[in-house]
Amino acid sequence: MREQMNPTIETILENIERVMTGKRDVAKLSLIALLAEGHVLLEDVPGVGKTMMVRALAKSVSASFKRIQFTPDLLPSDVTGVSIYNPKELEFQFRPGPIMGNIILADEINRTSPKTQSALLEGMEESSVTVDGVTYRLEKPFFVMATQNPIEYEGTYPLPEAQLDRFLLKMKMGYPGTNEEIEVLSRAQKVPPIDDLEPVINLEELRTLQKEMKEVFVDDSIKKYIVEISTRTRTHDSVYLGASPRGSIGLMKAAQAYAYIHGRDYVIPDEVQYLAPFVLSHRIILKSEARFDGVTAEDVVNQVIARVPVPIQKAVK
Amino acid sequence: MTAENRNNSFVTLLLYSLSFLLLWEWLRPLKQLTETGNIHVFLIFLLISLLLSYLGMPIAAGFFIKIVFIIYSMQFLYFEGSFFMFDWMSPMWSDVKMNMQLVLNSQWTELTSLFRTLLFFILLWLMSYLIQYWLINRKQIFVFFFMTMTYITVLDTFTTYEAENAIIRTVTAGFAVMGMLTFYRLLDRESFQRKAALSRRWMIPLAIMILVSVSLGFAAPKAEPLWPDPVPFITSYNTESGEGEGGTRRVGYGTDDSRLGGPFEGDNEVVFTAEAEARHYWKVETKDIYTGRGWIAEETDARLSFLPGDEVPIHSLIEGIDTEERTSTVFMEKGYQHVQYPLGIQQIQAGKSNSFEMNPVTEKIYSLETSRPAALDTYSVNYLEPAYQVADLRNITELGSEFGNQFINRYTQLPPELPARVKELAEEVTAEHENWFDKTRAIESYFRSSGFTYDQRDVALPGQGADYVDEFLFYTKQGYCDNFSTSMVVMLRSVGIPSRWVKGYTEGEYRSLGEGNARLYEVTNNNAHSWVEVFFPNVGWVPFEPTQGFSANVDFVFDTTPSGSSENEPEEENEAEPVAATPDQPEDKGSTGPSGISQIWAKVSTFFYEQWEWLLGTAALTIALFFLGYRKRYMWMPAYYIFRYKSKNNDEYIEKAYIALLGQLDRIGLKRKSNQTLREYAAYVDQFFSSKDMRRLTSYYEQFLYRGELKDGTWNEVKQLWENLIKKTTA
Repeated sequence: MREQMNPTIETILENIERVMTGKRDVAKLSLIALLAEGHVLLEDVPGVGKTMMVRALAKSVSASFKRIQFTPDLLPSDVTGVSIYNPKELEFQFRPGPIMGNIILADEINRTSPKTQSALLEGMEESSVTVDGVTYRLEKPFFVMATQNPIEYEGTYPLPEAQLDRFLLKMKMGYPGTNEEIEVLSRAQKVPPIDDLEPVINLEELRTLQKEMKEVFVDDSIKKYIVEISTRTRTHDSVYLGASPRGSIGLMKAAQAYAYIHGRDYVIPDEVQYLAPFVLSHRIILKSEARFDGVTAEDVVNQVIARVPVPIQKAVK
Repeated sequence: MTAENRNNSFVTLLLYSLSFLLLWEWLRPLKQLTETGNIHVFLIFLLISLLLSYLGMPIAAGFFIKIVFIIYSMQFLYFEGSFFMFDWMSPMWSDVKMNMQLVLNSQWTELTSLFRTLLFFILLWLMSYLIQYWLINRKQIFVFFFMTMTYITVLDTFTTYEAENAIIRTVTAGFAVMGMLTFYRLLDRESFQRKAALSRRWMIPLAIMILVSVSLGFAAPKAEPLWPDPVPFITSYNTESGEGEGGTRRVGYGTDDSRLGGPFEGDNEVVFTAEAEARHYWKVETKDIYTGRGWIAEETDARLSFLPGDEVPIHSLIEGIDTEERTSTVFMEKGYQHVQYPLGIQQIQAGKSNSFEMNPVTEKIYSLETSRPAALDTYSVNYLEPAYQVADLRNITELGSEFGNQFINRYTQLPPELPARVKELAEEVTAEHENWFDKTRAIESYFRSSGFTYDQRDVALPGQGADYVDEFLFYTKQGYCDNFSTSMVVMLRSVGIPSRWVKGYTEGEYRSLGEGNARLYEVTNNNAHSWVEVFFPNVGWVPFEPTQGFSANVDFVFDTTPSGSSENEPEEENEAEPVAATPDQPEDKGSTGPSGISQIWAKVSTFFYEQWEWLLGTAALTIALFFLGYRKRYMWMPAYYIFRYKSKNNDEYIEKAYIALLGQLDRIGLKRKSNQTLREYAAYVDQFFSSKDMRRLTSYYEQFLYRGELKDGTWNEVKQLWENLIKKTTA
């Protein structure tokens, strides 16, 4: 018996699918992050449709969309905005930077210097930016989708661990399948459909969704299950530093959002299992010998999930 | 890594050593209880086997080493001369070949010691392999531990083996092994890190726990056993290999039998060793005046003297019956001045300076040296072993007139105050039989049943005015050889059959082979015994054995053509039944009568005694059914679950019912991995049953489990789904 998706979410997903073929999972995960008020790190090569998807998402929820292309010479003020002296008014006027939007695509975030990265990351964590001593609050919802080139590429500044922790999910877009790519080509011959995309909900409705999502019930047994998974990543053989408590919180919120978009008002272990690799793997630092052996963080998380028993009875208080 | 390896190999060595200790416990009792000697050879073999397996020796090399050791040990044990002369090889090979033949013919008792040793080696080999398998592969050794425990406790209960220390050793070693194995099993399963720290946290409490529990168990006061020691019954059942009878109430052999009764303790002191060609009882004297309390003999100063090699003036057998000449040799350990001799004695061979005197009334023979009473160190007796023709015996229905009144009065004497019911009982028992032999057999077998119990401890000493036989026959029914033999003589005499009471020793316990056909028996004070001889005018004196669990080894020759009373097969002699333990009974019951509790006890014990076959059968059947039911529980558990949960209307029960369903599915082979979510598992189960029920039920259970409550009104559907599913599991 299939569960009924939340109808609003279903419409948004259909909307996105009109521009993006065969990427429902990625769209769903992005929506999860949006609802859970988290941010997404997309690790992928250029040209697979990241921008297109984010724009479709932004348009579907009537959010303002901004894009920042990170380059090595980008300055923090290019992100946050800058105060400019207005000779007519005889005062400094603040000109907001691209971060002052609802949905931000931060392209190739690991190409810029750590200083500029931190300007964005402050915004992500604090929902505010400080320019020339003045703190500006960012409008909610605030959702960053950062992309980074795979770390092995030349000319990158890898994000520090503490900052990776700020992303709720990390995922890969991946190349489309053959049929889907043919479909992409066919669509490219016409007018880009993104332009006629109709909004599904407005920002106010989005905020309501975000609020409702928090009401999804998480049983103690599920909480225990989540904590058990996080704890086991910390004691795993190949792991130097395991998932943080922030990771556990993230996993719970993501699972709530997932349950919510599936129209359920409680979380089940299946969701935790499905989301754990996306939520936890970028928060784990492997030992160097494990990396040499070709172990990946996803392997570790999957192994942990395979070992933690699923709760099938009420937690004993 | 190397530290861990070293640690690991140390632990494995420890495990092997402890298992070796456990195996050792199996070998320890062998020396005491069986004819196995040179236990150390087997121990060394075990040690080598375990060491080879510990060192991980290649199979072929280990095989070679073990084979060489086995062959060397067998050569060392059974052949003279050097191992490297190799002249032992062909006899050993032919011996093995011969034994293989015997094995094929199932002549198990004929197997030679050499071959038995070989088989034992192979058994130990298998054991050492099993130990390795349990320790290293399974990491479980409970079965072995349990078997060891059972073995030791059974030996302790039913044999002379004292297992007090063995139990302490076994518990300590066994718990240590099991505790360590549990730890390594857990490590394996959970793939924990930091093994060293964990193992310290496990092993120290384990050691403390074992130490504390063993010392507590050792120091704590122990309750007296609820039931008396069952050993006397079991041992008296099996005189062939077990302990002999406990003799008499006095320590060793006494002469005063004028007041019988009362309990006594056994005594293992050796009286003499006998080299005998056949098993036979050893007579010392006979007595023929029953006083109502015991036996006395007519006083006489007459002594018949004779010399070694002379004919002994005892004529127990009438000439002309079938006999076989035999010789037994006695090696005295205690300085008794009387001679033990078998029925049918002809001559005594001893030193030149010895001579003998005999009391013609009691037929007790004293040894003299240069005319002064002296104990003999060693002597041998030539005797005729009779083979009584039962047809002849059955001819006798009365004593001919050629035996004078004196003879009749002497051997049918009874005290005038003997209660009449003794005679009535004897007549009742023998009523169906005409001839003396059948009557005697009837009385003899009467004691084998009818509620009589063999007991050495709880035996009453008759009070003032009570008759020893009367009390035993009608009241206590519990006693040892004196009770049985005296009662039989009195009953026989009351129906007019001449008989007498004989004292002496049983054949003793087999120790080893002697020269020729002879075997060495050891006779201890525990083997002191009393039995019955009945006079048949055409045959002579014939021994009978009323005491439960004993056999007089008398050779009765039945006609090949059955003569109508085939139930009197001679094998009956050995068929005394093992008897359920009898509860304690007050000793003064003879005079005061039983109190309420002891009466109930007596009833209970009689019930157990009479119904023991039934009870045993029922118990075995119950256990078998129980086991079967457990093995096949997936067949009936659903019915129980339906009965249990169907009527419930409370959400709380969905959890129990669902978990029960999971267990049931698991039993029929649909296993859920612990990391499998209920949904995945439900899909798997539904695929198996081609239905949707499990998924639907699971979604309800998920609601209950992860949401905290079920929606109102779904309970009935849940029940329906659940019942469908659990019924499917038995389909």
